[in-house]
Amino acid sequence: MSGTVRFDFMHFMPYVHLPENHKDFHSTWVDFPNKFYDPQKGHALYQRYLAELLLAETVGFDGIVVNEHHNTAYSMMAAPNLIAAAIIPQTKTAKICVWGTPPNLEYPNRLAEEYAMLDVMSQGRLEVAFPLGTGMEYWANPINPATARARYRESIDIILQAWTQDGPTTYYGDFYTYRYLNPWPRPYQKPHPPCYIVGTGSPETVELAAKLGFGYSAVFVSKTRALELNQQLRKSSAEHGHPVRPEQLPLQVITYVAETKEKAEAEAVEHVRFFFEDALRTTPNFLAPPGYLSVAELKKRAALADKLHGGFSFDNVNESFFLAIGTADQVVEQLEEWAAKMDTNHFNILGAIGNMPHWKVVKNLTLIGQDVIPRIRANAAVERRVAAE
Amino acid sequence: MPAQAFPPQFKRETHTVNGLKTTVLVAGRGDPLVFFHGAGLWHGINFALPWTEKFRVIIPIHPGFDDADDDPAMNHVHDYVMHYLDLFDALGLDKVRLVGFSLGGWLAANFAVQQTQRVERLVLVGPAGLRGKEQPKGDLFLLPPEEIPSLLVSDFDVIKPYLPDNPKDLDFMGARYREVGTLARLWWERPYDTKLPRYLHRLTMPTMLVWGEEDRLLPMQNAELWRHAIPKVEFKTFKRAGHLVLDENREAVDAVQKFLS
Repeated sequence: MSGTVRFDFMHFMPYVHLPENHKDFHSTWVDFPNKFYDPQKGHALYQRYLAELLLAETVGFDGIVVNEHHNTAYSMMAAPNLIAAAIIPQTKTAKICVWGTPPNLEYPNRLAEEYAMLDVMSQGRLEVAFPLGTGMEYWANPINPATARARYRESIDIILQAWTQDGPTTYYGDFYTYRYLNPWPRPYQKPHPPCYIVGTGSPETVELAAKLGFGYSAVFVSKTRALELNQQLRKSSAEHGHPVRPEQLPLQVITYVAETKEKAEAEAVEHVRFFFEDALRTTPNFLAPPGYLSVAELKKRAALADKLHGGFSFDNVNESFFLAIGTADQVVEQLEEWAAKMDTNHFNILGAIGNMPHWKVVKNLTLIGQDVIPRIRANAAVERRVAAE
Repeated sequence: MPAQAFPPQFKRETHTVNGLKTTVLVAGRGDPLVFFHGAGLWHGINFALPWTEKFRVIIPIHPGFDDADDDPAMNHVHDYVMHYLDLFDALGLDKVRLVGFSLGGWLAANFAVQQTQRVERLVLVGPAGLRGKEQPKGDLFLLPPEEIPSLLVSDFDVIKPYLPDNPKDLDFMGARYREVGTLARLWWERPYDTKLPRYLHRLTMPTMLVWGEEDRLLPMQNAELWRHAIPKVEFKTFKRAGHLVLDENREAVDAVQKFLS
């Protein structure tokens, strides 16, 4: 592994107290009735989840990752910047990764301001990602999915202009006009915080990451596809004059460590099931609002339907996606193998899986911090020394 | 949708309109009758055959529908009005009888308020586009695609032959997804037109409003919005017919023909 190994901990902050009859509902997104949200239970969950995010730094993780979803029990982070703001004063070194707010769901100047605030507040620890947002977000927000990609590109353009050019500047776009683009404050990091694109692998988005010199993280795609996407990004980025560095390719892995393989599976699988079967359950229509996908992509996804959203088999999931569930030895070996294949040194660990109880998250993070992270770091250091000789 | 869904009497012409390849289906002889279709043509145009006995029936396929080219920059009703001004000029259509159904009714009304001299007679069949007092009706986006066809008719057998045997037919799904994406560019922000009511007083040409009494997509009370806004309008409703009133009830087709003659 080249460069410095990096471990992030990502939390989805799900609302786990689904009603008993929740399977009667076709989706836990978009139209899942919000009367099922109990704010008192929500408060307890926020307290718990914030503690888990902070624990990650204590046990040795390098970054804390939050993201945004709307109208869903899957995530209580409709506004991830609020979570980031809450953890900044309670952390010292961890990168604060907001991966992130779909830039087309927010006024671009406002997002540039909020991210700059977080970067200044954290003394330059912010990293951001620009997702297009799932299809479901477009049923919850008043933004046209048919023009989502064009608005997305324009929004990123405005944010980068706001960060990199001395204001005031002007911007006359198809969607937004700025007569005085002059946001205060400006980012702490120069020229701006590290940026990524998070996506499910549409070619246009990978190309955009390459063009802008951003990192890229593929989520909810198969292992094979993730590898293809990394290769595609590496090739395109080089062509655009931005050779990709390994740390720009965060590898998202559902990870659980226990004393034995059997114990790890016994403790984790039910929560992996909850995650795929219940937290991600939605309809094809919600996944693909009008105009959000190309027709070719829609047909491709329809053909694969139900594989991911609903309809769970652990073996299938384990086969298709990056899941490292086992002893520390096994997880170390697994992560190193994938990192070598994907040519990355940056792990984004989903260590609080689905409706996992607090004690399991604490155990998992502690064991990863104690037995996985130091060994992968040590192995990488040996590798670097060998390479240097 | 396969082109063979259209009856062989209709000739397929291709015109390039402002750079956009546009398909026009033409049949019959006589004065021109232009039909603006709704948000899909998969249910065919057999209903229009009787009109070809008296008129030259011209059915342009809207950009982004069926096999017509698409232009992502067309995202406002004004773009469609301009597109049809170009096409009518290209076809030499100085005076027309204009019939618009559903989405096409909205387009036809928008065209006619601006082209009062050109549109001699106007028929709006279950037109979409006005906002009711209750929640906006006819918001196609609220309906899962697989539920739409059965909502369009009172008798499912009428459209069954046009639907694929396999409800998950990928080509059919893809074609409908393309069309609903075209529609989203016009209607996602607001599935109705806030400006049109302001101008409907300009429909001074003889105008008829047609509705299926069992319309479940745009229920009949929507007709009242149009009747109040258009100065003088002949209103006809038909039993045993849903939203696709022309496909379901021959009497509606004949009534349109009689009104236009």
